[in-house]
Amino acid sequence: MGVVSLDGYVLIVNGKNAIAFINGLSTNKIEGSCTTVFTNSVAKVIDMVDVIDMDSFIALVGHGPNKKALLSHLIPRILGQDVQISDASESNSVLLSTENLDVQEGVTKVHTFRGWLIVSPNGKEPTITMNESEFTDWRIENMIPHPGYEITNANHPYACGLSHLVHEDKGCYIGQEILARMKSRGRQGKELIRETNPVSDATSVGSTHSLAIRKC
Amino acid sequence: MDCNTCDSAPAVQIHVPAVVSAMLTITDKAKEMLNGAFGEDRSQALLVGVLSGGCSGYMYDLQVVESTEQDCQELMIDGFRVLIPNATSHLLDGIEIDYVDRLMGGGFKINNPNASSSCGCGESFA
Repeated sequence: MGVVSLDGYVLIVNGKNAIAFINGLSTNKIEGSCTTVFTNSVAKVIDMVDVIDMDSFIALVGHGPNKKALLSHLIPRILGQDVQISDASESNSVLLSTENLDVQEGVTKVHTFRGWLIVSPNGKEPTITMNESEFTDWRIENMIPHPGYEITNANHPYACGLSHLVHEDKGCYIGQEILARMKSRGRQGKELIRETNPVSDATSVGSTHSLAIRKC
Repeated sequence: MDCNTCDSAPAVQIHVPAVVSAMLTITDKAKEMLNGAFGEDRSQALLVGVLSGGCSGYMYDLQVVESTEQDCQELMIDGFRVLIPNATSHLLDGIEIDYVDRLMGGGFKINNPNASSSCGCGESFA
């Protein structure tokens, strides 16, 4: 399909406790680059974040409008740990490619469930080849939830199609008890679905199909 | 991502809470159990800390230590040397260390007036 620009932030997390810190507060088991979800005490999504292990630091790439909420969640919990956070959002662009394309030197590319996430210093971005409606159609076809549409703070990860980002065997994190209870009782409440248009409660509307989050 | 770019990224302002001169109490049952753990050797200290994580966001960290690299305040409570890390003193001021004698879920428990909620196991609080 192509490349689309995302409204993303890029936080740089340094310090010897950086990975353990992120691991202890999010749904997935962080052992390197992966995608994870930060949830609040009632297991609703604060943000879905791509964690990129850059060896000397980790980068957190999330949805721009959720940056403030995520920082408010993280900062009070640093306590005395060796964790420093800086914001590289202004100097980098975040893009998503549906294909594995070649990028310039200095541009970071990681494979995620959504496609190839690209973090590019300003001026080195690959050409954008997909518009918003084409991207929406591609997402709907592949049942990929998107921040601001399905991935919102009204939903928990299971409801918005992110159950694969909830690691079942890792230790506690905020919201874990609720998610574990939903899983063990087989009651996730809502689920992500795709239907042919028209869909009255659609969260993403495409040209022929839509996504919705509906009671299951 | 260009690392030169990242190095020049502005640091996120992190508000560090003021260090509080923490006060804490230990119940008779907890003292009895600590006596058993320490024995006659009172050179060791009880480190009462808080880590991030757990179901509610913060987890208690109770250890018997000789010393620690953490910047701590030291209290003497009923003959026990207690260390409270300054970085988490605001979360620990006023706590009561108790011991619950139960087959399941028993052990040292911390009653914390600063906690708005805690998880089922009692190890994590918010």
